Amino acid sequence: MHTASSRKNILIAGGVAALAVLGAAVVAPSDGYYLNIMMQAATYTIAVAGLVIVLGYCGQIALCQAAFLGIGAYCVALGTVDYGLPFFVALAIGVVVSGVTGIFLGFATLRLGGHYLAMVTIGFQMIVTMVLTNWIGFTHGPDGIPGIPRPSLGLVDLKGGSVYLGLCLVVLVAVTVYAALLKQSRLGRAMQAVRDNEIAASTCGINIFRTKTVAFGICAALGGLGGGLFAGAFSYISPDQFTFNEAIVLLTMALLGGVESAIGAVIGTILLVLLPEWLRFLRQAYLAVYGGAVIAIMIFMPRGVWGLVVGRFVKSRPLSDDATAPLPLLARTGEVSDTIVLDVTGLAKHFGGLKAVDGVDLAVRKGSVHALIGPNGSGKTTMLNVITGLYVATAGRVRLGGRDITELPPHDRNRLGMCRTYQNIRVFRGLTVLENVVIGAERAGNDVSGTDATVERAIAALDFVGLRQVAHLPVGDLPYGHQRYVEIARALAGSPEILLLDEPAAGLNLTEKGEMAALLKRLKGHGTTIVIIDHDMRLIEKVADHITVLNFGRRIADGDPRSVFKHPEVVAAYLGEARHEAA
Amino acid sequence: MHFTRRSAVGLGIAALATAPMGIAFAADEGIKIGMTVPMTGPGAEIGHLQTEGAKIGIDKINAAGGVLGKKLELIVEDDQTTNPGIVLAFSRLVNRGDLVAILSSLRSTQVNAISGDARKAGLPVFFGGTDPTLTNTGNPWFFRARPNDVFSAKVIADFGVNQLKKQKWALLHSTDAFGTNGVKALIEQLKPLGVTPVLVQGFNNGQADLTPVVLAVRQSGADIIATYTPFENDVGVLARQLKQFGVQATWIGSASVASTTAMQLAGPALYGTYAVADFNAEANPQAKAYFAEFSKKVGRAPDYSSAWAYDSILLIAEAIKQAGGTAPDKVRAALLAIKDFQGAEGAYTFDQNGDGLRSYNVVKNDGGKIVFVRHIAFDK
Amino acid sequence: MSMLPQLLFTGVSIGSIYALVALGFVLLIRSANIVNFAQGEFSMMGAYFMVILFAGLGLPYALALVLAVVLMTVFGVAFAWITYWPLRDRGQVPVIISTIGASILLANLILATYGPSPQVLPGLFDGTGFLVGNVFMDSQYLSIIVITVVLVALQYLVFEKTMVGKKLQATSQDREMAALLGIPVVAMIFGTFAYSAALGGLAGILVAPILYVSVGIGAMIGVKAFAANIIGGFGSIPGAICGGFIIGIVETLGAAYISVPYKDAFAFVMLIVVLLVRPQGLFGERIAEKA
Repeated sequence: MHTASSRKNILIAGGVAALAVLGAAVVAPSDGYYLNIMMQAATYTIAVAGLVIVLGYCGQIALCQAAFLGIGAYCVALGTVDYGLPFFVALAIGVVVSGVTGIFLGFATLRLGGHYLAMVTIGFQMIVTMVLTNWIGFTHGPDGIPGIPRPSLGLVDLKGGSVYLGLCLVVLVAVTVYAALLKQSRLGRAMQAVRDNEIAASTCGINIFRTKTVAFGICAALGGLGGGLFAGAFSYISPDQFTFNEAIVLLTMALLGGVESAIGAVIGTILLVLLPEWLRFLRQAYLAVYGGAVIAIMIFMPRGVWGLVVGRFVKSRPLSDDATAPLPLLARTGEVSDTIVLDVTGLAKHFGGLKAVDGVDLAVRKGSVHALIGPNGSGKTTMLNVITGLYVATAGRVRLGGRDITELPPHDRNRLGMCRTYQNIRVFRGLTVLENVVIGAERAGNDVSGTDATVERAIAALDFVGLRQVAHLPVGDLPYGHQRYVEIARALAGSPEILLLDEPAAGLNLTEKGEMAALLKRLKGHGTTIVIIDHDMRLIEKVADHITVLNFGRRIADGDPRSVFKHPEVVAAYLGEARHEAA
Repeated sequence: MHFTRRSAVGLGIAALATAPMGIAFAADEGIKIGMTVPMTGPGAEIGHLQTEGAKIGIDKINAAGGVLGKKLELIVEDDQTTNPGIVLAFSRLVNRGDLVAILSSLRSTQVNAISGDARKAGLPVFFGGTDPTLTNTGNPWFFRARPNDVFSAKVIADFGVNQLKKQKWALLHSTDAFGTNGVKALIEQLKPLGVTPVLVQGFNNGQADLTPVVLAVRQSGADIIATYTPFENDVGVLARQLKQFGVQATWIGSASVASTTAMQLAGPALYGTYAVADFNAEANPQAKAYFAEFSKKVGRAPDYSSAWAYDSILLIAEAIKQAGGTAPDKVRAALLAIKDFQGAEGAYTFDQNGDGLRSYNVVKNDGGKIVFVRHIAFDK
Repeated sequence: MSMLPQLLFTGVSIGSIYALVALGFVLLIRSANIVNFAQGEFSMMGAYFMVILFAGLGLPYALALVLAVVLMTVFGVAFAWITYWPLRDRGQVPVIISTIGASILLANLILATYGPSPQVLPGLFDGTGFLVGNVFMDSQYLSIIVITVVLVALQYLVFEKTMVGKKLQATSQDREMAALLGIPVVAMIFGTFAYSAALGGLAGILVAPILYVSVGIGAMIGVKAFAANIIGGFGSIPGAICGGFIIGIVETLGAAYISVPYKDAFAFVMLIVVLLVRPQGLFGERIAEKA
């Protein structure tokens, strides 16, 4: 399978690279300058790889990587010099302490938007520098800590410069491999989904807060790892090596190289370690060039050097035509039953004085296609947002399969089998079509798990909507209508108990609308419950078993299509709207 | 997947890109002395002065025919004002393999950063960092061309207690390495004189307001304030607020108190204050000559940032002459044998730790003019 | 304690500076949803414009002040044009990073031009201050408080009572809707940048006689102003002002009674506590929902 083999490739390449760098490090001339510059680059890169994960994968701005570098370095320095711990024990402590600190910080701030993390991390960075400087009894204060020893590993002595550099490089390769594997793992995809669209991620079953916190924790732990190795490399550390300015330099390294993969971290770090050598003619102005470079990179090269290379030279291949088992939910048969699967009672959502939804009841029968219609502003989408947990209900209850889910967050509702699409398309733009749909297949409550099975399920879903041929493309390259199908495939890959479609035909042309109707018809009658919002009455007529009509946030009619369309209030509401639109 | 194979390639390229940087130059006739200075970053201005000081020393020696018939040559590397930067710059210099000695940093933390490499390099390494502990690590190649902070503290304590007759001391300092160690040394030096400070207070550099500190000084009832702060703006804020809150105590501080910038910032608020400085043009004839030479060449008055570099060059030249060659161990032995060599900063006699100077100058701000008060030297 | 009134006076004055910068900050958040990490550098630029005009060209103080503020509005527009405009459609993160880049660029350009030595700027008044009871009233501190109060009042009037203010508010609440209503959204956003830069610059000029003019002048003020915003309530104007005063007072009292070296940490500790306990800030509404 596609992903399994690529994982194997990563591991093989990593193994080869590890041997190569180890060999290179031992054989290469061990003069001081070369060793120093390589050790500096290697240890910094490990920390920068952390930034790649938190910023590049997860889209969160952390401005305190130098603090984590410092925590790792101080754990190693204090552990070995003051407390006589073995190097690797102290290093492990450093990684754990920075990781846990990162998780705590993330816990405090990541429920909120990205700028909160940016701000809190600046504050944290400054506090760490202050503590390192002022807590003289523990940290040795501004003098720093000299004489940090390098380790021995069993019988192998790692004290020599080349051997120690070898150690740093092997760790670096391991971190790079880890970052590459992470990117293709479920967690890595979740991070990227959070980066690209938090709302869609949450309704795809991703716990946004936990994902971000974990990403930040990993970032911090890698900072600690890099810092610990840095301490051993240079045998002396002091607080002024771990200040806010260094944090900015590390961030610039990540951005310059490209935040999409750890290779970017390697490139960016090497460039910025060498750059001061090349930019020497600029004298005092070279930090200004850093600043200018950051702006220029954001504007002209948002994917960094490595992103540029990948974008130009690496073309992904289309999937093979190997047959895949069709979506299992299509194999099921099931008529509309009388069991109520989604039961909404007295639901209200008020925004300040505006009563967007005001005491609506909704009973959706298992296996039915239930349409929710009404004029613009009647509260349909708000209703869907409350049902899926994006909005907190002002009043009323929502029950799914008899269970009260009113208080549950979106990702927990998704686990119970609730999948949805959006009126304004919400796909994960940084990912391929296939990856988008795999995220849907990875829903916690799905009947498949594991990379191969979920990929297979995703391909089946793409087959169903007819997008297999473009599965390898970035989703943003697809035309608008096809992106809607990606959303539907993403929802279907999760084998939902109940599928909520918010205006699936909006923005489609006539032919596409016909195709959409055909697709919905194919979905019907297999036991999957569908709630659909749309303005296209012909579409609704073709597919709906049951219709609920909203107007001004209240339910004005409910029943089978024929009776509802005759309902005088419905006629008035739609005529009223028609008149309004004509005006 | 393609890009991990590239990761190996990427690392390989990295190795290639960095490996051959230290190409050695073909040796020519001159005697080469290396120097790391901040050419970029926040210390660039001081780095410029330091380079000029060393160049004046080189020119002076060469104008007199060089050493052992050879000209001196200065090789400068940028330390970026950072610790990793000086580690790289220093190892580049060492890698050349053709240097006789190296001048490194004024900043104690940077000297610490290269301490390990300096021990391995096997060359005399001169530096200007004043943290007393730098020369306590038993590194035989370290030579300090400035008096360390034990002596500035000694001078402040001696002058304050014995000349000014003050007993109630308030010690204020920056929380950086300079300030913290300076005050630590001062507390030690006050002890034998029977003084325990009534207040010891640190603050971060760059504060907009020091009201809490100044109020604490006022409450402590101190009759003398001693400060260790490297930056002029802190001196300025402190001076203004001490005046505003009516603190009458005498003020004696580290060199920044008498710097031109601080006097510009604080104006009359600094009148009547004392400061200790390792370089002062009035202290001796060499200092006077250096002052004139530097002012002519650079267009501004020299200070501690360049005088030690000038002296270091003269010391190295003298040691080569005495040793009759450039073999590092011979030069080192010659340096240790030098007695009372008059430089711009004072008379150098290196002890076994590599500390060459044990004297400071006390100056006073007399209505906006710095006047030389006295030169205080110690035997040990 | 006899120290308390003096400390409160100091805290309020320093807090005024934070509040003034925070105000410029919050306006950008409200009008364009931009978190500007170079806000502190606006203060630095204002002070250096003043150095050029007053100390360099020798203009009269009042004229130099007015010119410097005018230059800051131009600077604000240029800043927006370079760091914000090309990235306006790419979400919040790229703009944040680009403003971080701008802050490094500006600080180091100034450093390369003027070097690290601080410059001197005089205050609005010649006298250093006077005693009221046992509280010393520094004249510059007093002028900072007065100017901040006046500006906050003016801004309140402009925002709540004039058409321009209402248009700005409409722009911040729903840009597309505002555009449909014929409000020149682009001009509004650039205008906010100009005004925000002018406020920041003015804060820099006011603080210059106290802190002196150096490159570092902007960094700490900017960060504290940001903290003030979050403590007060993100995007809330009264919150930004109160947050500024709170930080000023807390850090001054904290320095006097707890620890001087950790003075700069109090704002951030408070920030983290506020985020844990009351993430919407002291004056903020609930974190806005959107889908």
